[in-house]
Amino acid sequence: MLEVRDLTKRFGANVAVDGLSFKATPGRVLGFLGPNGAGKTTTLRMLLGLTLPTAGIATVEEHPYRELEDPIGTVGAVLEGPQFHPGRTGRNHLRVIATASGRPRSRVEEVLRLVELDGAGDKRVKTYSLGMRQRLSLAGALLGDPRGLVLDEPANGLDPQGIRWLRDFLRAQAAGGRTVLVSSHVLAEMAQTVDEVVVISHGKLVAQGSLDELTHGVEAPIWVRSPDAERLRVALAARESVDAKPPETGGGWLEVRGTTLEEVGTIAAENGIPVFELYRPRQSLEAVFLELTGGTEAGR
Amino acid sequence: MIARVAAEVLKLRTTRTFWALAASTFGLILLIVVLSLSLDDALHSDEDAVRSLLGTASLSGLLMLVLGAVAGAGEYRHGTIASTLLVTPNRLRAVTAQTVAVALGGAAVGLAASALTAAVALPWLASIDAPVPDTSDVLGIMFGNVLYSGLAAGLGVALGSLMRNQVATIVFLLLFIFAVDPAISALAEEYARFSLSGLTAAMSGGSSEDFGADLLPFGAAAAVWAAYTAVLAMAAAALTTRRDI
Repeated sequence: MLEVRDLTKRFGANVAVDGLSFKATPGRVLGFLGPNGAGKTTTLRMLLGLTLPTAGIATVEEHPYRELEDPIGTVGAVLEGPQFHPGRTGRNHLRVIATASGRPRSRVEEVLRLVELDGAGDKRVKTYSLGMRQRLSLAGALLGDPRGLVLDEPANGLDPQGIRWLRDFLRAQAAGGRTVLVSSHVLAEMAQTVDEVVVISHGKLVAQGSLDELTHGVEAPIWVRSPDAERLRVALAARESVDAKPPETGGGWLEVRGTTLEEVGTIAAENGIPVFELYRPRQSLEAVFLELTGGTEAGR
Repeated sequence: MIARVAAEVLKLRTTRTFWALAASTFGLILLIVVLSLSLDDALHSDEDAVRSLLGTASLSGLLMLVLGAVAGAGEYRHGTIASTLLVTPNRLRAVTAQTVAVALGGAAVGLAASALTAAVALPWLASIDAPVPDTSDVLGIMFGNVLYSGLAAGLGVALGSLMRNQVATIVFLLLFIFAVDPAISALAEEYARFSLSGLTAAMSGGSSEDFGADLLPFGAAAAVWAAYTAVLAMAAAALTTRRDI
């Protein structure tokens, strides 16, 4: 399990992460969303012990990363930014990690095959494309066969085939019981990959929940169309907390808030009111994200 | 720790920097040895001149100091420090492993440089009936060269890890060795034998007369150099523990 509690990071006067708390649990893919500069990378680096929190704590299986006995067997990480010596080959980069962590060289070949880089393993990293570097980074994260994965924008530089491969891979990792925490700005891709979402803006948590909860959101109105819309409106409005009103366009439609699809259907049936259409429009993850973060860089 | 040192050795030998600096070291030493043998008439009669010639391999120490600085600060230049610390989160272990590994690499270059010097110089000296020191003396000079090269590389790593910037580390080292260290030695006589140049002379078979001040015994000089390295490595680890990567 990966957890951050009341995590705060200040860089001088700038508060990059502000009292953030969330958990990533085994068997689930947790998407970590936020505009550029929202504090995602800083949070992940604090989780991995590379950046020191100003306050709060970040733990991996209930221990700070720096205190883990077998770090790369516990959690594998893909980070943004340079992390390879350009003159070293991909295979040698992985051999260094394998040697330091006591993994056999055969594991290097396994992960190279897994990320489909076995043909390019002997080329120097400076000749790699961005996508190949991402795959190499992923190979490094998998080398210790970890129980958890922390991935910062892993889809960057991948072609559509690679993105699809990554999605299937992450789903398979979660299905195998691993904890997966993945940050990304490719929202359409995240919508197809994650089980739960944490959204931050200005370093603060602005939403957390399952993808269904977020995209169906209790605030989204229910739309119902009936030939007897006025009688249905009165019947619905009789219920406490239910707000039903016709839209300006009319057409027998009612916009209903504060209730469920099931309750609207039941009330209509109890009052013998025919219903032609009844639905709650599902919001896209992108729409939810833009609404929550203000839709601009860093949520401004 | 052995696994971490092995990984750092692998890191060192899988980039061109190490091999390029090693090749430069051998080329420079070969050039100096051949020129000295060809031009220095003192070699025909002066044993001190011969000892000095055999100590030419200690030049590898200066280049290994640069190698260490490049390796230590290079972790930050290329961002590989993140990968290193994800595998070895304990900063002191990480710095120690790299210091030991690069010191081993430096010692290996020092050994090869000494062997090259001996292979070229000894037959040449024999052919001109030069006063060659006895075998144990020659081996002592070579051992000093090897040890100095290794320790110099280790010091470079520790300083590079502390300063985090390759160019700044190398400039600082060169300024210190060629300007600050001699200046302090001239001003404070007691410091001279603890200076980097004093320790270098003590380890590479120099004499107090040539150096112009008392030198520490060989073992003590190596111990003091190793202590300087340990202090720098601990400072680097302490700073890295408190800094963001």
